[in-house]
Amino acid sequence: MSALLTIDNLKVAVGDKPVLNGVSLEVGLGEVHAIMGPNGSGKSTLAHVLAGRPGYTLSSGSVTFEGRDLLSLAPEERARAGVFLGFQYPVEIPGVNNVYLLKAAFNALRKHRGLPEVDAFEFLGLVRAKMKFMRMDESFLGRAVNEGFSGGEKKRNEILQMLILEPKLAILDETDSGLDIDALKIVAQGVNSLRGAERSILLVTHYQRMLDYIVPDFVHVLVNGRIAKSGDRTLALELERRGYEWVSDEAA
Amino acid sequence: MSTALATRIAEEYAAAAAELPARVVSAARRELAVQALCTHGLPGMRDENWKYANLRALERVRFAPPGAAAPANRLSTAALPVAIAGYDRQTFVDGVFAPELSGAVRHKTQDGAAARECGHPGDARFALLNDAFAADAAQIRTVHEERPRCIEVLFVAHSEATRAASYPRLDVKVSAGTRLNLIERHVSIGSDANFVNTAIEIDIAKGASVTHFRVQQMGARATWIDTLTATVGSDASYQQHLVQLGALAARSTCHVRLAGAGAATRLHALAAAAGQQTHDAYVLIEHACAHTRSEQIFRGIAAGRARVAFNGKVNVCAGAPGTDSRQSLRGLLAGPEAEIDLRPQLQIHTDDVRCSHGATAGKLDESVLFYLLSRGLDPDTAQQLLKWAFLADVVAKIDIPDLKSSIERALAGRIEVAEDLKELL
Repeated sequence: MSALLTIDNLKVAVGDKPVLNGVSLEVGLGEVHAIMGPNGSGKSTLAHVLAGRPGYTLSSGSVTFEGRDLLSLAPEERARAGVFLGFQYPVEIPGVNNVYLLKAAFNALRKHRGLPEVDAFEFLGLVRAKMKFMRMDESFLGRAVNEGFSGGEKKRNEILQMLILEPKLAILDETDSGLDIDALKIVAQGVNSLRGAERSILLVTHYQRMLDYIVPDFVHVLVNGRIAKSGDRTLALELERRGYEWVSDEAA
Repeated sequence: MSTALATRIAEEYAAAAAELPARVVSAARRELAVQALCTHGLPGMRDENWKYANLRALERVRFAPPGAAAPANRLSTAALPVAIAGYDRQTFVDGVFAPELSGAVRHKTQDGAAARECGHPGDARFALLNDAFAADAAQIRTVHEERPRCIEVLFVAHSEATRAASYPRLDVKVSAGTRLNLIERHVSIGSDANFVNTAIEIDIAKGASVTHFRVQQMGARATWIDTLTATVGSDASYQQHLVQLGALAARSTCHVRLAGAGAATRLHALAAAAGQQTHDAYVLIEHACAHTRSEQIFRGIAAGRARVAFNGKVNVCAGAPGTDSRQSLRGLLAGPEAEIDLRPQLQIHTDDVRCSHGATAGKLDESVLFYLLSRGLDPDTAQQLLKWAFLADVVAKIDIPDLKSSIERALAGRIEVAEDLKELL
């Protein structure tokens, strides 16, 4: 399988504080990778650096996406190239309509690919179908982006956006946090519906709970900004049983 | 105020007095106003409530209005903003009624206003200057009708400040139980270096209601000063939408007195300043009676080197239990050299009140911007979209579609946002 994403010895600092200390990872097309690790291990930083969030200092290493240097691209260029970040804390944007924003994002993507923009009517049909799939109420159509949404609604809205934008690489940052079991199942069903040979998924999570519903091909444990251990999904179960400490000890 | 300025006002008044019509303001009142100005002076930068205003134009302005000697205006209706459907228009050019540019026949005016108190907290000193020099006035009276009265008063400034100032004047009395929808617009045509000093008095009797849309779209070098006093009777309501877009220096002073039980007021104001503009507003809401309600919402954007200031004061008097007052002031810095000054003030002299206030000023939120970029929007679009969203709650409340879209078009030019982006709101 050809690699969609290749991270090679990536070192990143926030201010003077090193957060990623040489991460190397290869994600093949069609694969689902889970990045696990204790709090402060650098999981979220990795997700944000891949999406292009400003405020990080890259001291060395490289990230290649479909043969291109991902780190040289602006955040919006990465999005148009097919990188999607599902936020752990999706922001509220009062005044901006949820669906209209989604349409603007969708059309920005189509424009980039040389496809004609879709009109409001056609787009609404698409959104309605996906919302039904995510069991979201029609009232979400008229609401501002994430404004007044509960934690679970925000996460569902992230997955809805992902289903419509159909990225090549979906990075889901702690999408399971704050979800009750029913919401988790719906979110997992959304993610699973996108699994396929043409895209890859990077799940960033603290708990293995979500991996019961979205079964990963590979599991990596991030400790102190480095991948300390990799394995298949049984590694996640072992982490659930034994905690993270033994991996740190082993790595040391 | 410098003595020189007071002397100049007195001299210019003496020279112009014979031409100033008594039916607008009686000679006795004009003279009282000039005397009061000589005693108290005009506000200056050292006055607490005026420190953010740009009053530099006062030094070189000629105070007397153009008068009969001025060349006849040759404006055509085509040069004016498009009329709003359903609204009778009265047009005033340099403060004087222009029948050929007006749709409605106007009633004869007469000086019916009460003498001003000077040194009042509402600060009416510029209104005194209007009293002294006003050449005409728009008078609006309401009668009982099934539908609200809909009137637009358009003030067009035509002459330059160095030649003459103009004094728009509006006197509104709304009788008990009647309704008025009033649009008031200020524009410059021809020269854009006008000096405009507006005075407005609104008296709303028991159970009556007024919705007042105010749009300031003066030219790029104009100075616009405004003093508005509204008295709201029992169970009456006064709603004002203030949109400040134009002028180099604009200052609005607004005093709303909730004088009867159950009186209510809402003020929704927005300012969008760019370049070297200053938009300053001072609002005093006085809860003088029981069970009165007030709401102030202000959204201001300052780009370039502009300054936007809003000083909103709520005064709850001892005799006003059951007062409900809300205030939300927000400023957006859209330029590295821009300035926002927000000042919420609350004075409460009674128990049993519900008052809330909030004031925040800052730049666009980086994490919100990143969210939009991560969805593929380009940085320019993302920033413009957030500026529209910032103004959205105030713009949405302008419920006259023609007026709203004209304001949106003007806003798009002012804060450099693409108009079609508002479709995303």
